[in-house]
Amino acid sequence: MDTFKVLEIKESVFEDNNLQANLLRDELKRDKTFLLNLMSSPGSGKTTTVLKTIEELKSDMRIGVLEADIDSDVDAHKVAETGAKVIQLHTGGMCHLDADMTKQGLVGLGIEDVDFAILENVGNLVCPAEFDTGASKNAMILSVPEGDDKPLKYPLMFSIVDVLLINKIDAIDYFDFDLEAVKNRVKKLNPNIRIIPISARTGEGIDEWADWVRSEVKNWNEK
Amino acid sequence: MHELGVVIKVVKTVEDFAKKNGVKKIDTLVLQIGELSSMIPRYIEACYPAAVDGTLMQDTKLKIEILPGNGRCNNCYKVFNLIKSHSQCPNCSSDEWELLSGKEFLIKEIIAC
Repeated sequence: MDTFKVLEIKESVFEDNNLQANLLRDELKRDKTFLLNLMSSPGSGKTTTVLKTIEELKSDMRIGVLEADIDSDVDAHKVAETGAKVIQLHTGGMCHLDADMTKQGLVGLGIEDVDFAILENVGNLVCPAEFDTGASKNAMILSVPEGDDKPLKYPLMFSIVDVLLINKIDAIDYFDFDLEAVKNRVKKLNPNIRIIPISARTGEGIDEWADWVRSEVKNWNEK
Repeated sequence: MHELGVVIKVVKTVEDFAKKNGVKKIDTLVLQIGELSSMIPRYIEACYPAAVDGTLMQDTKLKIEILPGNGRCNNCYKVFNLIKSHSQCPNCSSDEWELLSGKEFLIKEIIAC
């Protein structure tokens, strides 16, 4: 009869990704590139917000964009028209990006001449929240038509981000969206979060958002 | 839909561990999964055969242990199961609590022969 031996491993499966993410953050710090991981549901206006952000900041800093989608390159084409450096990542069915994929994307993009890199994550409020990409800061967009109950349904996403943009604020009169209720729900999950209502279409709130980015990029590249 | 990618990672980690420790054959792999983790045991079992196909672990059995999603009430300090009690303390009805366990996804051990 075979003799069996039990070998303890006791390793968290996400440990490897956390390790890779920390290594990537160290590298970004050395290279003086601020990486923002931008997450949201599909259709919240991520790409429109990215385009508006580039327009607002392109005279202050060199910007690069990583567009992650399951398929297609429509977003990358739109970003390329602004003159910003862009690379399209295909996740091939995967619902999120991990630190390793992010690193491959950054290598493909080339960050030596990029001060501010935006990672437009796969449109999904569940899986991207579980995986540290190695980004300097995490942001998410919630758009008004999605409803004010999203923080109750996807608490993890709202609890891990540094900044929440509430997009399509120009359409608030057409929806039963209680801005104060959202703020209270989100602050309960994440007391230190910064909440900025914006409209990527009209430009409302974009100056406040751009100021946040400017000061974060400055902090990252100084320390 | 991220179970397959994660399970492939698990297989890689275990294979590395086996190589480092001179293990040639693994009878059973034991995973611990928290009730509140994003990993669904049923899906892990479903994609496991595809992930081990052609690896050292091709014939390795999979065993999953479930860890309870427990919290401790901030008000009366009762420890309770968050899922059964719908995230509300069954003793004092408070919804302010501290998470104790349930988010884990661990490779616990392997049984080698």
